[in-house]
Amino acid sequence: MSNLIYKEFRLVIHPLFFVTALFGVLILIPNWVYFVALMYFLFIAIPNIFMNVKAQNDTGFSVLLPVSKSDVVKARIWSMSLLEIVQILVAAIFVAISVKINPKGNFLIDANLAYLGCSLVMYGLFNIIFFPMFYKTTYKIGIPLIVALTAVFLFTGAIEVLVVTVPAVAHVLDGVSSAALVHQIPVLAAGIALFAGANWLAYRLSARNFEKVDL
Amino acid sequence: MEILSVQHLSKHYPKFDLKDVSFSLEKGYIMGFIGSNGAGKTTTLKSMLGLVHKDGGTISMLGMDFDQHELEIKQHIGFMFGGVDYYAKTKIRTISDVVRRFYREWDDSIYQKYMKRFALDENKRPSELSSGMRIKYSLVLALSHRAKLLLLDEPTSGLDPVARDNLLELFQEFIEDGERSILFSTHITSDLEKCADFITYIENGRIIESRTKDDLLQGYRLVKGTSEQLAPLQARLIASKSHAYGFSGLIKTADLESADHLEIEEPSLEDIMIYYAKKEGLNE
Repeated sequence: MSNLIYKEFRLVIHPLFFVTALFGVLILIPNWVYFVALMYFLFIAIPNIFMNVKAQNDTGFSVLLPVSKSDVVKARIWSMSLLEIVQILVAAIFVAISVKINPKGNFLIDANLAYLGCSLVMYGLFNIIFFPMFYKTTYKIGIPLIVALTAVFLFTGAIEVLVVTVPAVAHVLDGVSSAALVHQIPVLAAGIALFAGANWLAYRLSARNFEKVDL
Repeated sequence: MEILSVQHLSKHYPKFDLKDVSFSLEKGYIMGFIGSNGAGKTTTLKSMLGLVHKDGGTISMLGMDFDQHELEIKQHIGFMFGGVDYYAKTKIRTISDVVRRFYREWDDSIYQKYMKRFALDENKRPSELSSGMRIKYSLVLALSHRAKLLLLDEPTSGLDPVARDNLLELFQEFIEDGERSILFSTHITSDLEKCADFITYIENGRIIESRTKDDLLQGYRLVKGTSEQLAPLQARLIASKSHAYGFSGLIKTADLESADHLEIEEPSLEDIMIYYAKKEGLNE
């Protein structure tokens, strides 16, 4: 498995895509839709990486190696989740700065731990839709991307609407005071758990689909 | 000892069927796998390696069942489907560095030896290589982990005559110790006349013949005669071609009768292929 992950970072994922994490700086904008800052990874890195996978015939290369098809999928999902975690970690730094310089918070969801938790769920949701659809063919990218991004927009849109319109939701998810951490740490923990669970399921479904593909 | 055995392999596609493909190969021999374009050579090889899902049949390599020991088997075999057609803009050095990690028995000295022998430069990228060089690089990767069995799809197509000859010599060297074998598909039959011990011939998804090259060649005769002689012979001929002076056709040696009074020649592998293809209606 470590060899396959090495392969992902050596051949498939250009180091440039780590730089998308710097879009986290957008979290410092006062009064903004903070989910967008973490979506740049999905807008830029994911399509480019998978176009590269297709253009470089990565699948053709991978199946020549003495590895199982399911491990090929597992390594891909591991490496993409790793990149997503990098986005979240960099975003966390900007969240910490934002709390200091923006003590009044945001008109939509604030940049806080609950926001990071929800962002993890957003990535998990993307992964669980995109990967299994992609691994039905290993070359069709458009439809999986559109469907997964639509789900991401609906999910984050719903969170933003609920934060603004439902006080109970705002009570749990919103706020930048240290008192608000009581509600937000469980949200972050749930986000981590859901992200992990979604990736595991994404792997199982993708591996099952990839197994059926004749190469 | 059998190093490779394929039994009753079948695969169904909407417009093509691989039917009951069976053959086997002993240690220390080269088997040529011939057939015209679209006869099922690549599909057979891919089904054997699990890249394409077979609908039936069993494959065993190095004495192990492929489905149960896929990863272990893949450590000890080398296979290639044409030249390197991946990572066109990545340096060969980088690609090799990734590949070598996957093999327990990767031997850098073998790798360097073949890179040198094929005059391959590690600083080049696949896109900068000719198609022949890409095939050679692909072969180097297949050879460098001490593979005991090589399964090669069209390793000689795209190579110039000198390179082809070199490659065939290399194949001979590879099997010299009697422990290793090669199965390679080709439609260039002259390659096989030079180096194959066994021939497996596939046409239209079915195995027509699988035996030693000499047996195969002795098993058939090319016959020529006048147009009048054709009619009574027709049923015994595999296929025939008529021309202004009469006909020529392929017949199984066993079906020949001394009373036929025909001009008889030993066929080449190419003749056998052409007449069988004609029989299958592929030449029309």
